Amino acid sequence: MKYFLIVLVMLLALFPFVGCDNFVDVDVPDSQLTGNLVFEDRTTANAAIADIYSKLRDSGMLTGLTTGTSVSLGMYADEQVYYGTSDENSSFLFNNTLLANTPSVAQLWNESYHIIYCANAVIAGCTDSVALSAGDKKQFIGEAIFVRALVHFYLTNLYGDVPYITTTDYKTNTMVERMPVATVYESIIADLNQAVVSLPENYSTADRVRPNRSTASAMLARVYLYAGDWAEASNAASAVLNNTDYVLENDIEKIFLKECKSTIWQFAPKLEGNNADEGSTFIFESGPPPFVGLSPELFHSFADNDLRKTHWITSLTNGTDIWYHANKYKQNGNTGSSVEYSIVFRLAEQYLIRAEARARQGELIGAKEDLNVVRHTAGLPDTDAVTSVDIIAAVLMERRFELFTEYGHRFFDLKRSGLIDTILPIVKPGWNTSDGLWPIPETELLANPNLTQNPGY
Amino acid sequence: MKIISLNKGWLALYYPIIFGFYLCCLPVMARTPLPKSIIQQYTITGTVRDGQGVLPSVTISVAGKSTATITDYQGKYSITATAADILVFSFVGYTTLNIPIAGRTVVSVHLQEDATQLQEVKINAGYYSVKESERTGSIGRITAKNIEKQPVTNVLATMQGRIAGVSIVQDSGSPGGAFSIKIRGTNSLRADGNQPLYIIDGVPYSSETIGSIATSGTAPTLTSPLNSINPQDIESIEVLKDADATAIYGSRGANGVVLITTKKGKAGETRFSINSSSSFGTVGETPKLMNTKQYLAMRQLAFDNDGVSTYPSYAYDVNGTWSPERNTDWQKKLIGGTAKIHNLQASVSGGSRRTQYLLSGNYRTETTVFPGDFKYTKGSAHFSMNHTSEDERFKLTLSGNYTSQNNSQPAIDLTAVSRTLAPNAPELYDENGNLNWENGTWNNPLAGLDSEFESRINDLVANTVFSYRFLPNLEFKTSFGFTDLHNNESRTQPSTMYNPSYGLGSEFSALSSNFTNRNSWIVEPQLNYNTTIRKGKFAVLLGSTLQNQRTERLFQNGFGFASNRLIHDLASASIKTVDLSDVTIYKYQALFARLNYNWDTRYILNITGRRDGSSRFGPGKQFATFGAVGGAWLFSNEAFLKDNTVLSFGKLRSSYGITGNDQIGDYQFLDTYVSSGNNYQGTIGLQPVRLFNPEFGWESNKKFEVALETGFLEDRIFLTSAYYLNRSSNQLVGIPLPGTTGYSSLYANLDATVENSGLEFTLRTINFSREHFEWTTNFNISINRNKLISFPGLESSTYANTYVVGQPINIMKLYHYIAMNPTTGIYQFEDVNGDGTISSIADRHTLANLSPRYFGGLENQFQYKGVQLNFLFQFVKQEAFGALPGVPGTGVNQLASVSDSAAQQPYTAGSNGAIINAYYRYGLSDGAVQDASYIRLKNISLTYDLPFKVGDRLRCQLYWQGQNLLTFTNYTNGDPEFKFGGYLPPLKVNAVGVKLTF
Repeated sequence: MKYFLIVLVMLLALFPFVGCDNFVDVDVPDSQLTGNLVFEDRTTANAAIADIYSKLRDSGMLTGLTTGTSVSLGMYADEQVYYGTSDENSSFLFNNTLLANTPSVAQLWNESYHIIYCANAVIAGCTDSVALSAGDKKQFIGEAIFVRALVHFYLTNLYGDVPYITTTDYKTNTMVERMPVATVYESIIADLNQAVVSLPENYSTADRVRPNRSTASAMLARVYLYAGDWAEASNAASAVLNNTDYVLENDIEKIFLKECKSTIWQFAPKLEGNNADEGSTFIFESGPPPFVGLSPELFHSFADNDLRKTHWITSLTNGTDIWYHANKYKQNGNTGSSVEYSIVFRLAEQYLIRAEARARQGELIGAKEDLNVVRHTAGLPDTDAVTSVDIIAAVLMERRFELFTEYGHRFFDLKRSGLIDTILPIVKPGWNTSDGLWPIPETELLANPNLTQNPGY
Repeated sequence: MKIISLNKGWLALYYPIIFGFYLCCLPVMARTPLPKSIIQQYTITGTVRDGQGVLPSVTISVAGKSTATITDYQGKYSITATAADILVFSFVGYTTLNIPIAGRTVVSVHLQEDATQLQEVKINAGYYSVKESERTGSIGRITAKNIEKQPVTNVLATMQGRIAGVSIVQDSGSPGGAFSIKIRGTNSLRADGNQPLYIIDGVPYSSETIGSIATSGTAPTLTSPLNSINPQDIESIEVLKDADATAIYGSRGANGVVLITTKKGKAGETRFSINSSSSFGTVGETPKLMNTKQYLAMRQLAFDNDGVSTYPSYAYDVNGTWSPERNTDWQKKLIGGTAKIHNLQASVSGGSRRTQYLLSGNYRTETTVFPGDFKYTKGSAHFSMNHTSEDERFKLTLSGNYTSQNNSQPAIDLTAVSRTLAPNAPELYDENGNLNWENGTWNNPLAGLDSEFESRINDLVANTVFSYRFLPNLEFKTSFGFTDLHNNESRTQPSTMYNPSYGLGSEFSALSSNFTNRNSWIVEPQLNYNTTIRKGKFAVLLGSTLQNQRTERLFQNGFGFASNRLIHDLASASIKTVDLSDVTIYKYQALFARLNYNWDTRYILNITGRRDGSSRFGPGKQFATFGAVGGAWLFSNEAFLKDNTVLSFGKLRSSYGITGNDQIGDYQFLDTYVSSGNNYQGTIGLQPVRLFNPEFGWESNKKFEVALETGFLEDRIFLTSAYYLNRSSNQLVGIPLPGTTGYSSLYANLDATVENSGLEFTLRTINFSREHFEWTTNFNISINRNKLISFPGLESSTYANTYVVGQPINIMKLYHYIAMNPTTGIYQFEDVNGDGTISSIADRHTLANLSPRYFGGLENQFQYKGVQLNFLFQFVKQEAFGALPGVPGTGVNQLASVSDSAAQQPYTAGSNGAIINAYYRYGLSDGAVQDASYIRLKNISLTYDLPFKVGDRLRCQLYWQGQNLLTFTNYTNGDPEFKFGGYLPPLKVNAVGVKLTF
């Protein structure tokens, strides 16, 4: 009996924890918030949106770092020359020899769809939110829907037929199929129209780092232009150009400063004192270029009296050779207080969109007016183009000089104008017609049997 | 000094004869007249030795009396007895000797190692220990004897090639580099879900990485905490493999359990030991690369093939910018250095019969093979104390290990660049001794060395075990364990590492730091009850576990420094950011039990079970039950075999059970947003952490094993043959998702069954055993087959293009290479679906299995007087991809064999997309797979005991040890052991040292 007591006492004394189920319950860690709480508070919901912008700034298509379209499509088309030899990823871009498993192919795809997921999560969270005010909801959803359309626009222009993702449900998103480009454009336009309605007319802050209604219109103008809907493109551009908040900056040196009034939307830098990432990506101080340099052929295409040739391009020489780099952004480091932000939409593009849309519709006078606005800023005289064909060609030429090294404009313009297979083979010996579209990443094809590869890969 | 060499080994034959003569003399001596009265007690002294020297801790008792003592560290003893008494000398692993005192005052004996006795060794099975002969589970083991012979830092390295069923591969030859371990194949589809459970002196030790990507060094895998364990403090390592052995670890046993037991003090006089060694490590196998002449010929032909006659301005290697006369062997220049390793170990131990202690310290420094001044230093202290009360009811064991590591290394590994850099690339330094940038035409590889990785890890593992025997057969025991790990890592990126063409100053310098603290406590109370009913012995164990682990992490960055000299000071950064600051908590509780029944040492039944709860699972999914049953039949103890002269031991054992795996990370079931650390407009962003799935639950791993253990000729030949069949189902995996979901994977249970089956053979033979000469051989071989048994819905899942039912899960689907196109010379592949184009989904249907077919080791130990020679050959049969540095003709150097332009498709300088495409398809084809089997002299050690006698206390051993000295392989791309291309392979190490004990 005594022994039983001993055993009993020991069991009672030393196994008190057994069966206490809540020992293994843990609280949500201090650094995390459960998903449903984020959108019940204006500050945290705003932080979720802010994170999307920082992701756009630091990753995916629009980053000014070396992985973004400003660099990669600059090399892929005829704007940038890759001077290195060892980095295979860059040399594949430069030589147009991308493969389905080249890292940047999957990187841009994955980062883009991740941003789209975050945007869809904001839309779903705000929609279900109880505590957010109707006004906040409208604005946050408008911003997220704008981002969703923006990213899909780049995806479809780079990869062709792509899935348009509108939900966070992975079961749906796992088995998606490619949608024809036209359908993707319909979705983009629908989203942008909703963004135009939802976004506030005014910027939430003076530095124009959050998109407003005009930003959505500016995007819409570009999308209509690419889709060939000239009238709508012209209307959407007019909606921006008629807004008196935007003033064309005539001093070419001031266009890329953060205070510039011709900026429609720009990215706030990661840290106070930081400047546009494009600066540190493109600028080098002695030749040969350690990474990429501006194509000498592009430099020589500028008219000598073009202010952009002298103000937006820097040339360097060691006495025998000469090299160039884009110098739109002039800061390549931290300046204590920021000077330049990375500009995503600016007024000059809207003038050129409307010029082209007008020319295509036969409104030649208006077209020339718009084109000349841009030319005058660059110190050039009025265009001498007369016929609509000439004007369209002149606008495309102007776009090359105005928008070089900005988010792959050149590559997309060559594609939509049908000139790509005529112009690129001259400077790119390895160019094939199928290179107009990037391959669908191999990992993606392996994970989703419903996807198909683009021709040529 | 007497010179002894093995070629005089035949002399050893004399020793048994002499020894036999000596034994014959004993009875002769007994017949001499007794000098003292046979009833008078007096003191007898003597020394006990074995083939290697004196033998401490031998128990000497007087037959039929309660008097007993043990030998001290000099093998000496003294005991009181009468002249007519018989002394019994016994020691685990040795044949017990009964020696009549016969009136002598000095009785010195020589004990023989007894193979049969090895079956009596107690094996640590975690919560209990079991006699080797009576164990029902599958447990592999190595001891300090094997460990001490290897000049290695990582505990996993000591097991390479020595334990059947355990595959260990070194991830990197850099100091502190991690190892990968797989026990009986790949159980989990998750690459990171195959880690075994590590237990140090009863305390679970988390092997989860403590590094961060931002601050990682040169290793392909992040910092492993296992480096904190000093191999020289380890007494034994047991690897638990089957269900019978692992089920008591329940949810954490699926991948096996590695039990590490540290050294303990032994009773006797205070004993000091000092061991000092110096080692020299160099890179072993390197692929043979092109020289400048071959390289330039290839480049010129490549441009020629592309139709380019004027070399582009940026083709510096071939356009004359870099001298065509230069020829540098970059592998020699960049990774051809010698890593110097110095190791000093000192220990003091001793104690009485009731209380023993051990204190040891270790200091080790290791440099790298890279140019530059980098060092890995490690200091550790180990403490152990045992106490038993006078009535032997109360026992206390205390052990502690404290390690401090300081690893300073370049943040880049120069191996990859050493194999791809053009052989005529410029000088590393200019005439002033500064880094040469050759006017910005290249990225000087040494610039990367300016980026430093520094890791300071302090780690404490402590454990206390109290036990009290309430009744002769009832013992209560509880262990309290504590671990505390602090990691302070940093990585600098000074402006000087960038090409000066960027014109960057110290305002561009950056510092990343990572503070990770992880501490855990564990309490495990247990009750042990034993009873004997007739011929049956019952052992019952009942216990419970409570464990709590807390990990705190703080990742910070600093940018912009006034001077690069201040780069290690975060406070000097003009901008500071915090990437991550979090605390994660892991809680775990369990109830476990074991019931063992042993009938007449013939039939043994062992039942174990565990109920586990883990905080890693969501509400309602936290608890699960695991268990196993094992049985053994010692047929050699049956009457009909009892006195068999050939078969000395025979045991058939089998087990079946279920274990689990909770290695999924914390909080995975929560749907949360976490601070991203990214600033936008002064707001720190919140980002969704993961796609969430609150539904996931425990996976189960069913293990079956049957094994036959047989000993012949007094166990001089001992063979263990085991067959196992493990099936894991309901696997918890990160299901790969297409990028369109926004994430790359999702944690969920997969309705698939993976089977690992295999055979393991271990053979131990004592080829020769005499007083002065011994030769033993150990051989093990493991064959593992992995197979996906079932996968409902495979076709419609994201795994559709990865797995095939009936095939191993580590297969790769490859293109089938046919030949070069007779006209274009471009590689051609089989168009499986005949659609006219080669595409990865439709045409990659050739299966390749790159996991080892079989592997094992062959160890021989020779001992002749004071000389010991051990060597271990490790062998692996496997296939691997050959060298694929980049498209031949582009600016990367190639294997020398590639200079035969007819043997491959045409070179291209980069513009021929078809050739590039074909090159990369070739890299994913069966054409690129080659035999990577190897036989490697993993370890060799030669030890010599100096035969001098300074007061008889001093023992001095000189030794030479080698690691990876010889490799036989047909593999063309460097080291075949190695699986991560572009990282430093395991080093060839030669060590010399001296060990003093007094």
